[in-house]
Amino acid sequence: MKRDIDRIHMLMQLTPPSEILRHDKPPEIYPHLYNKGSQSKDFGKKDPQKADKASHINDDIGEVEIPSDMTILIQRTLRSGQSIRYPGHVVILGDVNPGAEVVAGGNILVFGTLRGIAHAGAHGNTKAIVAAFKLNPTQVRIAGYITRAPDNAEDDCVFQHPEVARVYDGKVVIEKLSMGGNKVSTQ
Amino acid sequence: MGEVIVITSGKGGVGKTTTVANIGTGLAKEGYSVVLVDTDIGLRNLDVVLGLENRIVYDIVDVANGHCRLKQALIRDKRLESLYLLPAAQTKDKTAVTEEQMKELCQKLKEDFDYVIIDCPAGIEQGFKNAIAGADRAVVVTTPEVAAVRDADRVIGLLEAAGLNEPDLIINRLRPDMVKQGNMMDIDDIIDILAVDLLGVVPEDEMIVISTNKGEPAVLDSRSNAGEAYRNIAKRITGEDIPIMLLEANEGIMALFKRLIGRKK
Repeated sequence: MKRDIDRIHMLMQLTPPSEILRHDKPPEIYPHLYNKGSQSKDFGKKDPQKADKASHINDDIGEVEIPSDMTILIQRTLRSGQSIRYPGHVVILGDVNPGAEVVAGGNILVFGTLRGIAHAGAHGNTKAIVAAFKLNPTQVRIAGYITRAPDNAEDDCVFQHPEVARVYDGKVVIEKLSMGGNKVSTQ
Repeated sequence: MGEVIVITSGKGGVGKTTTVANIGTGLAKEGYSVVLVDTDIGLRNLDVVLGLENRIVYDIVDVANGHCRLKQALIRDKRLESLYLLPAAQTKDKTAVTEEQMKELCQKLKEDFDYVIIDCPAGIEQGFKNAIAGADRAVVVTTPEVAAVRDADRVIGLLEAAGLNEPDLIINRLRPDMVKQGNMMDIDDIIDILAVDLLGVVPEDEMIVISTNKGEPAVLDSRSNAGEAYRNIAKRITGEDIPIMLLEANEGIMALFKRLIGRKK
């Protein structure tokens, strides 16, 4: 455990420390969410047109490609109340439990079960993805799009194979994670 | 102008959150506009009990620090139109909000809602102080256990010191059969020690476990004994005069049946 924390601290040296593992500060990483007055009305509804309207991102950093070496590896389970914020990609070897959140500028890969909140492409990159061995999140956010599980969902609707969430045609879609093809964005 | 009611207990696990969810739902069902405020920052539960966890985007800390507007953080209940939740933050701690901010927040909520019900965290530290800062009225929840009653007594003292005089009492998880055998404190014993007005008695009920796990408050279930008790408590809060439910020990199926039929008349 201590080794893992040391590793995270070491990684923090490589990136602006204000961007990672901050608990006390509001997420600057959500400027497009905080500036959008209409956002709160639209979340929760899976209406693609509304979601589209709510997510016009005009900041220039949005579509900047994040280099793949800007990735951190978290080798532990994130428990309720813990959060990871990182401007690059985040890979988690462990689970993300309900109440935990991962906010990344790039993609989020969970080698375990994602039950908490994942926000990929938090700077506005709509090409970002969230992938997990078992995708059963409280919420998935990609750039300015937010989605959640339907209210009457049964537990057995969680598939036993890896899945990926991405923005497609103005809404967040979840599909089986297939390796090898060009389905998974590599940026 | 509405009323701000804080639900507190001192001890953890006595049913504060369940009480908040049920009273709030009960009041909303009566037609009042209600907002439930979770001040248990870092250990939030009220959203889960109401089944609204996956709708949270902004929370009380965002509102208090001005990162979003109050309206953006309020989550409307999926069953009742007039019930709203202001969730707590999970990744922060109790110091993220100050007493002044809570007072201001309660003042704003009071303007728009008939009832503002605050779910207080366990303990008597900063979280407790924040929760009671903006309250007009307090309700103390206890269970018929010596430790819970002791903590309730301490909390009543603190509430009075903070100017919240004459708090009301809810006795939760009472088991009439155990009281009859003399193995559990009865209502009179507790009132004797605490010397406050009794707002209601909620019997131990398995349905509560089911309903909290499902995220559906028990007041909406007409078969639940505890739900019935909470419905009455909600009505008493609005000023209706309803006698305390008389709990009979070892109630058989037939007796229960008779009571149900009797109630409908």
